[in-house]
Parts: sequence; structure tokens; C-alpha cells
Amino acid sequence: MLIVEELTKKFNGYSAVDKLSFKVEPGRIFGLIGPNGAGKTTTLRTVLNILKPTSGSIMFENKPITTNFYNHIGYLPEERGLYKKSKVIDVITYFAELKAIKKSSAITLADEWLKKMHIERYRGNKIEQLSKGNQQKIQFITAVIHNPKLLILDEPFAGFDPINQQEIKELILSFVTSGKVIILSTHQMETAEKLCEDILLIDKGKEVCSGSLKKIKNDFGGNNIKIRYSGKITEISELEEVKHIDYYSNYAEIELSPDATPNEFLRKIINRIDIAEYTVIEPTLNRIFIDLIKQNSTQN
Amino acid sequence: MNKIFAIAKWEFLEKVKTKTFIISLIITPIIIISFSVVPTLLGDQETERTKIIGMLDSSYVFFDAYKDEIEKFRLENNQLAYVLINLTEKNKSNQDLIKNADRRIMQQNVLGYLFVNSCSKDSIRVQYRSQDHTNFKDIINFEAAFKIILIKNQLTKMGYNIDGFNFIDDQVHIEQVKIDSSGDEGKKDFLTVFFSSFIFILLLMMMVIYSGQMLVRSLIEEKSNRLIEVLVSSCTPDELLAGKILGLSSLGLTQIIIWALIGLSLIGGAVVPPEVFSNVGIMLVYFILGFIFFTTLFVGIGSIVNTEQEAQLMTTYLSIILMFPIVVAVPAIQNPDALILKIFSFIPFTIPSVMLLRVNVSDVPVADIWLTILILLLSTILMIKISAKIFRIGALMHGTKPTMKEIIRWIKSDV
Repeated sequence: MLIVEELTKKFNGYSAVDKLSFKVEPGRIFGLIGPNGAGKTTTLRTVLNILKPTSGSIMFENKPITTNFYNHIGYLPEERGLYKKSKVIDVITYFAELKAIKKSSAITLADEWLKKMHIERYRGNKIEQLSKGNQQKIQFITAVIHNPKLLILDEPFAGFDPINQQEIKELILSFVTSGKVIILSTHQMETAEKLCEDILLIDKGKEVCSGSLKKIKNDFGGNNIKIRYSGKITEISELEEVKHIDYYSNYAEIELSPDATPNEFLRKIINRIDIAEYTVIEPTLNRIFIDLIKQNSTQN
Repeated sequence: MNKIFAIAKWEFLEKVKTKTFIISLIITPIIIISFSVVPTLLGDQETERTKIIGMLDSSYVFFDAYKDEIEKFRLENNQLAYVLINLTEKNKSNQDLIKNADRRIMQQNVLGYLFVNSCSKDSIRVQYRSQDHTNFKDIINFEAAFKIILIKNQLTKMGYNIDGFNFIDDQVHIEQVKIDSSGDEGKKDFLTVFFSSFIFILLLMMMVIYSGQMLVRSLIEEKSNRLIEVLVSSCTPDELLAGKILGLSSLGLTQIIIWALIGLSLIGGAVVPPEVFSNVGIMLVYFILGFIFFTTLFVGIGSIVNTEQEAQLMTTYLSIILMFPIVVAVPAIQNPDALILKIFSFIPFTIPSVMLLRVNVSDVPVADIWLTILILLLSTILMIKISAKIFRIGALMHGTKPTMKEIIRWIKSDV
């Protein structure tokens, strides 16, 4: 388990991360989300021991993170890049050696991973000869080849086509079952929603909300409905219970004002338009994200 | 420690395989050899050729006697060193004669000519007119020949039979010998001093610039593709730095050893006299310390800059500092105890190269040697600390180049 307490990192007096606390349990993917410049990368860098925190503590398996942990950490940075002029097999074994794996076993492991990713035919090629997607696969291999206990993935799906995304997703889920501690940082709310069990939303270096995805949805949801209808949508869009409405030719998504309930609203509109379907929907993480960040910025 | 070696091995092997390395391995020795061999060849040719010299002497006193004297100078193969031809014609004014003779120089009929301007009882005024500046050795020979004629004339007038004074013709050669405090004599002439200092200074320069640029380039590459983040999440920045410096300096060393082998096998000891290596121990100390000092400086710079262009600008400035001793070399050899040279030999940036020069041109006090080594050692340690700090912060930054103020704050900060 990774426990971060009261983490603060200041640059020239400006707090990039401000008293952030969270726990990452093994076997569950922890989603670190937030807008650009929220302090995600700084948080990850302090966990990775690249930056020293100004204050606060970071404990992994009940011990403070020190240089001894380098060999147990796997990191896939957001911006990708590899030594373009070097050979695939050389690059992978180099990174494995940097994680203190012996050269001979590094080569064996590299070959296994290349096979697993279906790119074993590029073994002797130079990185620059590979497609972008395949380069990404190499980078993914370098992050996981040493079987790290703590895996930090920054935008793991960026740059992959849907087939490869599926492949990477399955791999990540296999790491969950093997009990790794995984932090996933992303802008893609859909990804976070599908993969993460726990979420930490940060903005301006501070926590905005945190907890299990289920709990967050319960706290922020419950007042969204979807209807399939025929008739004039203006009949209902001007009602006072409607806070926000997205409508299309024959269906609409409506966010109700906090004091209205879906049942009362249904009674009210049933005589105004013909309803084919009426569903109470959970808000998407995307919606929650946008609302919370907006709210946060108006408060400040 | 293993990680340092893994990094060093990687940097070395990946760079050795590149085309640029292989090309520079071949082209550089060609350039160096042509620089060092061509002047030697030119110099040799000049001494091996008989020179045709004219004489313009309207007094008709000197020509025959001078011809006898000047033709006593021989080349190593006993060939005549000079052939004298008479350019004096009757019934012509000196001005016309000079005009004609000058024309003959232009037409390259003669290399130059001696114009006997006036002569009195005991002095002669002579001009040597030629197109190029003449080797000072020739002028000394011309003077000597006149001197002998004057002495012989004078002796004849005084009634001596000059046949008994053959010793007058004896030639004198002065050899320069430099004495050390220990009393050892070393036959070091200008060329030896020049070579022994310059081989080391040039090697230092080449290695620093070469390895330094490689280092900066590899840092820029890793910064721009953000690999640096993966690297510093696998090892400490200090390990990364140490590995890079180790790997790239072995690369520079490999290259220089190969160049040296190529050079020695082609031109051998003919050009490089063995005395060149007499101070090799102390010179190696300055060489190695200087190399580490400048390489760490490059690391600091490599962490600040973001693009190849910025790096090029910075390395140019550094190279100029390294070039400095070449500027002061000739005055230093002429006057090794100059104050300015002493001052520069206590400034960290110029210690390595100025001291490489000083230990060869004069007998440097032991205290000076220890003091300069101490200064260099301390400034190297300081430079490593500063560069490592700049590296730790600078390596993760990208975008704008930091200001001097920011860099100073980095150095002071606790990362």
C-alpha cells in the first residue's frame, strides 16, 4: 500500500502541490485526475523520488520511499520518447539493466514481452523504423519489464489505436489481479471511469474530491435523467426543475435542479409530451469533473 | 555502482556504433597529419635547395672574393648552398641597375640580391633585396661572408700572408641547451617545447570539446524526449551523471588513442621527438583534472540549454577559453616568467592549459605546482556539486531557458 500524507511541494514559494493525502491499495487502480497544471505530474514525481517534497510523507509498504525503491517502481511518462537510433532489443535491455536486472535475464524477459505484444519481428530494428504505436509498446515494456510493485502510468492509452488500447487495457487489468499498486493519471474520463476503482480529483495542487468511484457518483449523481420522447421539447425545457438539458431529435439528457426528484418531474411532464422511455442515469465522471472544476474556480 | 557502469556502457556502445564517430575517426587524423606534415615538408625543401643570389656592386671590389666565400657554405649533401651571379653592368646608374635587378627577382631568375651601397675603409653597407622575408639563417651567412672578406682585406693590407689564417673560415654553430634546477641538461629547442606542450593542450581541447559536445547532445536528447524522467526514476541523478561522464570520456579516450596510433605509425618519431614526453607524469595530472573540470562544466550547461543551437553557442564560448593558451604560447615560450602567465596559471579555467605550457618552458617552482593542482582539485569538486544541482532541476525543466538568477537559486536550493 502507498500512503501519501500532507504532501506539499513548493517551487519558489508557489505551492504546486498543497497538503495532499491519499492511499493507494494493491489490486485496485487509483485514478489521479485533474485539469492541466493541477499538480498531477509534480505529485507523481515526488512519489517517484525524482523531486524531494517540501513537507509531508510518502510511505510504501510502511517504509519511506528512498533510492532503494528505484528497482520496484515502473513509470510510463506522459510524453513518450526513446533512443531513436538504437535497436529495440538494446533499448529494452538497457532499461531493464537500470532496474538492476542482469543482462542475460533482461534479454530473456525482453523477448518474452516482445512476443506478448506481438512485435517480436522488430527485435533487431532501430526504434525510428517502428510505427508510433509500436514505439509506445516498447516504452510500455520498459516500464513493466522488471515486474515493479508500484506502477505509475501517465496517460497510458495516448497514441494507441483502439485494438492496441484494448490490448494495453487487458495488460493493466492483469497487473491488478497480480496485486500491484497502480496509479493511473489521465485526462480521458472515460478511461478513468472504466478502469479506476478509486479516484482523486485535484485542482491547483489541492484535493477537490476523492473516494471510490461508486461513492463519488452517488454523492454527485441521482438527479440526471434520460428520456426518449416525441413532441415539442420546448414544452419541458422551460420548466423550473430543469437545470441543464442536452436534447437531440428524439431523446434528451436532463439534469434536474437539486430540490426536484425524478419521480415528481415524471408526473409533471407526462401530460406535456409522449414519453417512450424514462431512465434515471448516473452522471458521467466527465460531467462530475467539469462541474467540480468549474465550481472550484468560481470559489477562488 | 552497477548502474553507473550500465549507463557508461550504454553511452559508449551506442555512440561507437554511430556513423559520425566512424567518420571523425578517419577524417580528423587526415587533417592533423596534413597540418603537421606539410609545414615540415616545406621547411625541409627550402634547406635542401641551392639558392641563386645576385650581387650588385658598382665598386667592383667584392664580387670575386664574395663568390669564393659564399660558396663555402654547403648543404648536408655537400651541394652548394648559394650560387652568386653578378648583376652589375658597366656604364649604368645605380638606379637603373636596381630596377633591372628587381625585375629579375620578379621573373624569379634570382631569389634575391645583395646591393653593396657604399664602402669605406672599415665598414660596408649592404642591402639584401628579395621578394619574401628571408630565412634569418641566410642573412647570418651573408653577414659572415662579408665579415671574413673585411678581415682578410685588412690583414693583407697590414702585410700578413692570409694563407696562414685558414681558421678565419671556420664556421661556428651554436646549439641551444636548457638547464633544469637539478642540473640535468635537456636539448630542448623551440620545436620540442612547442610539441610537448601543444600535443597535450590540443589533446585536452579535442577531448573536452568532443566528449563535452557528446554529453550535451545526449542530455538534450533525453530532455526533449523526456527519457530523463524514466532515467531519474531508475537511478540517482549523480549516478546518471557519473555514468555519462565515464562512458563518454572513455569514448573520447578511445578516439584519441586510435588517432595517436594512426599518427605514430604514419609519421612516427620523425615529427615527434621523444623528449616531448619527458614531463609526462605531471602533465597527465593536469590533463585528467582539467578534463574532469571542463566535462562537469559541460554537464551544467547541458542541463540549462534546451536546443542544439543554444548548446552550440555555449560550447563555442567554452572552446574559446580552452584555446586561450595558444594565444599566449609564443610570448610564453619567449618569456616563461611573465607575470600575466603566472596569474593565468592560478585561474581554474586556464590552469590546465597554461600549466601544461609552463612545465615545459621553464622550471616551475614545486609550490606553484602543488598550489595549482590544489586549486584545480577544489574547483573541480565545487564544479561537480554545482553542476549536479543544476542538472537535478534543469534536467526536468523544459521550455524557457532559466535566467542567471534562477540558476543561482537552484544552486542554493535543497532539491
